Amino acid sequence: MDDLRIVERSVDTQGFKITARGVQVYYGEKHALKDVDCDILDKTVTAFIGPSGCGKSTFLRCLNRMNDTVSIARVQGEIRLDGEDIYDKRVDPVQLRAKVGMVFQKPNPFPKSIYDNVAYGPKIHGLTRSKSELDGIVEASLKKAALWNEVKDRLGEPGTGLSGGQQQRLCIARAVATHPEVLLMDEPCSALDPIATAQVEELIDELRSNFSVVIVTHSMQQAARVSQKTAFFHLGNLVEYGETGQIFTNPKDPRTESYISGRIG
Amino acid sequence: MSDATANGIPASGAPAKSSLLTQDALMRKRNAAEARFKAYGIAAIALSLSVLFIMLWTIFTDGVSAFRQASLTFPVTLDAERLDPEGNRNPEEMARVTTIGYTNLLNDALVAHLAAEGISTEGVDDGDIADFISRGTPAELRDQVLADPALLGQTITVSGFASGRIDGYLKGRVTRETAAVDTNISVEQLDLADRMVEAGILTSGFNWRFLTNPDASDQRPEMSGLGVAIIGSAYMMLLVAIFTLPMGIAASIYLEEFAPKNRWTDLIEVNISNLAAVPSIVYGILGLAVFINFAGFPQSSSLVGALVISLMTLPTIIIAARAAIRAVPPSIRDAALGVGASKMQTVFHHVLPLAAPGILTGTILGLATALGETAPLLLIGMVAFVQNYPAGPFDGGMLDPATALPVQVYSWASRSDPAFIERSAGAIIVLLAFLVVMNIIAIVLRRRFERRW
Ligand SMILES: Nc1ncnc2c1ncn2[C@@H]1O[C@H](COP(=O)(O)OP(=O)(O)OP(=O)(O)O)[C@@H](O)[C@H]1O
Ligand SMILES: [Mg+2]
Repeated sequence: MDDLRIVERSVDTQGFKITARGVQVYYGEKHALKDVDCDILDKTVTAFIGPSGCGKSTFLRCLNRMNDTVSIARVQGEIRLDGEDIYDKRVDPVQLRAKVGMVFQKPNPFPKSIYDNVAYGPKIHGLTRSKSELDGIVEASLKKAALWNEVKDRLGEPGTGLSGGQQQRLCIARAVATHPEVLLMDEPCSALDPIATAQVEELIDELRSNFSVVIVTHSMQQAARVSQKTAFFHLGNLVEYGETGQIFTNPKDPRTESYISGRIG
Repeated sequence: MSDATANGIPASGAPAKSSLLTQDALMRKRNAAEARFKAYGIAAIALSLSVLFIMLWTIFTDGVSAFRQASLTFPVTLDAERLDPEGNRNPEEMARVTTIGYTNLLNDALVAHLAAEGISTEGVDDGDIADFISRGTPAELRDQVLADPALLGQTITVSGFASGRIDGYLKGRVTRETAAVDTNISVEQLDLADRMVEAGILTSGFNWRFLTNPDASDQRPEMSGLGVAIIGSAYMMLLVAIFTLPMGIAASIYLEEFAPKNRWTDLIEVNISNLAAVPSIVYGILGLAVFINFAGFPQSSSLVGALVISLMTLPTIIIAARAAIRAVPPSIRDAALGVGASKMQTVFHHVLPLAAPGILTGTILGLATALGETAPLLLIGMVAFVQNYPAGPFDGGMLDPATALPVQVYSWASRSDPAFIERSAGAIIVLLAFLVVMNIIAIVLRRRFERRW
């Protein structure tokens, strides 16, 4: 683990953005997430790591209620955003998702133009009053996602015509454009080259000043580089959750220890 | 690498050497299987294409003659004494002269014209010559004169249809052999027909009236046309589209995107699939019971026909539309929901545009099937003999009695005069032309929508 450049960062605990208590998720009979307690801090990058199939995406999708769209999924427990229970009957998941944006594991741009992809969120949320304001948001979002230089001359072309990595950055731009309070990113860099990865990591670090970011990643280096808090999932359990530096240098649980040293997963 | 044997790969032994230039037995076997499969496929396609070709060829050769018609052209002096005995040019009084009066006038004029042209009428009497003129022609002349009484006293050139047998002779349907055993025509009349063709009195040309005339009685096959059937079919397709499109698409969107997956929706799903398989005649009985006997809608009307056909087309359209909606990748829905779009916005902004080509093709193919549907229409009385055109679409024309193209095919095919059989095949050609046009529209729309991305 010598190659991990672990930077101890000061974590300013402005308070909890999301608090999850006793979260259980079932897919039909399958118990996919078992009794997860987790507090996600505001203005912090939290990394979820763990072997494939351990429930990272599942937990992430609980945080903006995307699991509602899976008919067989059942979520129990309590998740609060700024103290409000997001699974309360009065909560409209549409409103929640405007606050908690998401970048999916597989790039999924709309089969519309690059411009429309990014402009769609601001449009439906009525964030802009004029075309020039919308243009501004589109440009700023594409710049944040490190895609602007590649697409600025062809905003009218279909987003599906971009390369896989470009599509993923387009999805990031689309998520950023709605100005969410929390940004959930499910392996955002799995299709990116090292340069784009570095740019996205820079973006994540930048976003931290305004939002809280939750990122699922299979790259421990990436988790170490960008996050302040790390959660290790294994077989549906949240095994260990703490300061990134502590998890990587001094894990308390033997399972964490063997995962980050490459023995399980 | 000590555990390599565990995967079935020999730890020692290098892989067997083989040349890429020769095929081993297994490879040859696989290639032969592939070649056989391709051959079966090509054979199946060739067989179906040849059957299709034979079918189209027979229909075409049988039916194309329906678009040609023999006409007689000769001068007629509109004798005022015979056509307006009162002599005051009042159409109401002139109407007392029935078609029989005009028939006699035309008969005499033709006989006189033959004599004047010096055409020998050997072996035929005046009655035989009169048989040359279609029974529809006097009625047309009468209408013409009543509309314009000033024509009285003038000599005009009448160009009217020849009767069915003479028309059949020019088309080769009636021959000297058949005439010998046919009480309606004699060999001598055919000889005269030959002479009249030579003199240019009897000619053959494209028959527009096959597309515009209403149906005609058994004695006048040459006057019958598809006018009423085409209007009836057009009205029905219009109404079917209006009834089924919004309902079918709304139902499929609801079932695919909004409905909870439970026992009720499962039941609905099974029922829709079953309804699509119900024989069409059953819908006819249903239509008769519900729309005519219970609701009291007029029999034989395009409206009832359209309602019945809508019932049977709806399941097909719903199934096609649902398949198209289901084919939209779920990741698109996730993407839209993920940026905070509502369910409705997701469906209308993202899912429907992607599903539109599939929905459209499915719908138009459903309408094309509906266009060719016959059985239920027979039960609601659309097989009736309708001689009057339905009114315009905004004058309640959809409540007027009408027939439909496939029904016209059926009713002509069941008449005894061979001239109607030819017309039946001609009607099939028109029906096929409509179907081809609809399919082309489906393809064009599909291309148009797909090209967007
Ligand atoms: N829609 C679903 N239906 C049924 N089971 C599911 C569904 N989604 C996930 N699961 C199951 O839940 C478990 C957790 O899946 P999840 O997608 O959260 O894993 P993950 O940690 O994100 O894995 P990866 O790193 O491969 O993305 C898996 O065992 C998976 O089989
Ligand atoms: Mg995942």
